[in-house]
Amino acid sequence: MSAIVTEGLGKRYGGKWALRDCTFELPAGRVCGLVGANGAGKTTLLKLLTGLSRPTAGRAEVVGQAPADRVEFLSEIGYLAQDVPLYRRWSVEEHLQMGAHLNPRWDDAAGRERLRALRIPLEQKVGTLSGGQRAQVALALALAKRPRVLMLDEPVAALDPLARRGFLSTLAEAVADGDLTVILSSHLVADLERVCDHLVVLAESRTVLAAELEDVLASHRLLTGPRRDTTAIEREHTVLRSERTHRQVSLWVRLEGPLHDPNWQVEELNLEEIMLAYLGLGSSEPAEPVLSEVSA
Amino acid sequence: MTWLLWRQHRIQLALAVAVIIAFAIPTWITGTHLSTALQDCQASSNCGGFDLLRHYGAIRVIVNLTMAVPLLIGVFWGATLFGRECDAGTATLVWTQSVTRRRWIASKVLTLFALSIACSATISGLVTWWSNTANATLESRFDGAQFDIQNIAPVGFAVFGAALGLAAGALWRRILPAMATTVGAFIGVRLLIELAIRPHYMSPITQTLAMGAAKQSLPSGSLEIGDDLVLHGHVLSGPVAVDASCGARALTRERMDACMSSVGYRIRHTYQPASRYWTFQWIEFGIFVGLAAILIAVAVLAVRRRDA
Repeated sequence: MSAIVTEGLGKRYGGKWALRDCTFELPAGRVCGLVGANGAGKTTLLKLLTGLSRPTAGRAEVVGQAPADRVEFLSEIGYLAQDVPLYRRWSVEEHLQMGAHLNPRWDDAAGRERLRALRIPLEQKVGTLSGGQRAQVALALALAKRPRVLMLDEPVAALDPLARRGFLSTLAEAVADGDLTVILSSHLVADLERVCDHLVVLAESRTVLAAELEDVLASHRLLTGPRRDTTAIEREHTVLRSERTHRQVSLWVRLEGPLHDPNWQVEELNLEEIMLAYLGLGSSEPAEPVLSEVSA
Repeated sequence: MTWLLWRQHRIQLALAVAVIIAFAIPTWITGTHLSTALQDCQASSNCGGFDLLRHYGAIRVIVNLTMAVPLLIGVFWGATLFGRECDAGTATLVWTQSVTRRRWIASKVLTLFALSIACSATISGLVTWWSNTANATLESRFDGAQFDIQNIAPVGFAVFGAALGLAAGALWRRILPAMATTVGAFIGVRLLIELAIRPHYMSPITQTLAMGAAKQSLPSGSLEIGDDLVLHGHVLSGPVAVDASCGARALTRERMDACMSSVGYRIRHTYQPASRYWTFQWIEFGIFVGLAAILIAVAVLAVRRRDA
């Protein structure tokens, strides 16, 4: 069964499309990385999937339901917004109580256990916690709701590497524990590689790739060879990016089938290189600056 | 939802209760004194020179300051209700719990108006009771400031203030601009209605009197709208060149009035009689509650329809 299905999903703010023609399917039980440059439409897509905003075009389905302001839908999803909103003057304990009062499937014991294991004091005001602890509290709240689909918008962007690792391992444990589907946006490719098994890539407000991580790694190659006509290869495969000098040509390619021409030198690409090739799509700017924090 | 409402608004509620108690105690004490004094003077039919109120200057100032209560409700309760959640981003937290946005809005809005009405009605009730003495002796409850703080008009203002703050918070989605808009719009609308529209809820009564037949001949307790100088039925505006027969010599005020009356000048008083007080209270209340209903609809639509 699919946890998330979108078909031609689009959202326009004023005259500008923040997301358009978004079509992909995410099987249940996957952890999906949502990748894209700033402004590519990641937040917009997640808000459409939670029902917090309404689509201008197309449709979405999350666990078989159209996102809507209904209890049956809301109790199936967990959402963590970009800036990790919590009531700053409330204690962690009060957040747990709020969750218990507002959610019929609330798993109070699991939420408390998770926070105890992280040594987060429940009596402390949330506003005085560190960024990493706040993110953990928000994640614990979202998980204690026992959602079937958890959507996280740049949850680790503001965290230091250690807190990031902690957050992602909490997430990985939760996924291992049960039948949970996660979609998580990030532009930190190294983190995605650690937890994700599926990828959706947005560039210029459109979906340019949606596939299993393994398949993505298997199907993308860097081809290099002496300078020559490349139309044959462009006809059979998808060329994401090319670099030509007067003697040599390099092609970043998604292979749509076996490669017949033995004259190319073929190299594997790592996820970061593949993402860079995609993020450069549709823009004349070099993609590197967007992902400069990747290796951090 | 009840837990959430209580947790989020208990401090505001406690503050409101504390303010009401702090206001009620001196009001109750002085009000009891005043009403005893009033009964005494009425028993001896000698309230003419009633000057007891002169000793209650401070409390009168406080009582008159309750005019600000609806504005405070609008700024601190109305504007923050949606404004703060949108500003801090916590709206997305609470809207993705298993409670519909519709239900969240309904509980929030109902709580806001229940508390606004309860607080303003309590304060207005106290003020009205306290003002009994002044109403009986000064006959002033139809005058602008007193009209605004007694009986049901202040409750209408409070409902309007809360709705205005609510709408400003929902549209701005930020606290400070929402508060500033609430202050400006509340004062603007109140002044406009009080000064330009209230005097004309019903066509006023005019009474043409001889010059110098002073205002005391106006029926007591009425809302005075204006005096015009008229000559043979025509209203005169601007400086009037009085006939030489009157203006030739320096005259006392009385002789001047008598002279002008004999030439044909009259003073025309325009007023709303005291008997219309309750009609005016209800009209004022209705207008503000009507405006509030529109603002509530705008606010609810803005929060329900707009994307988070």
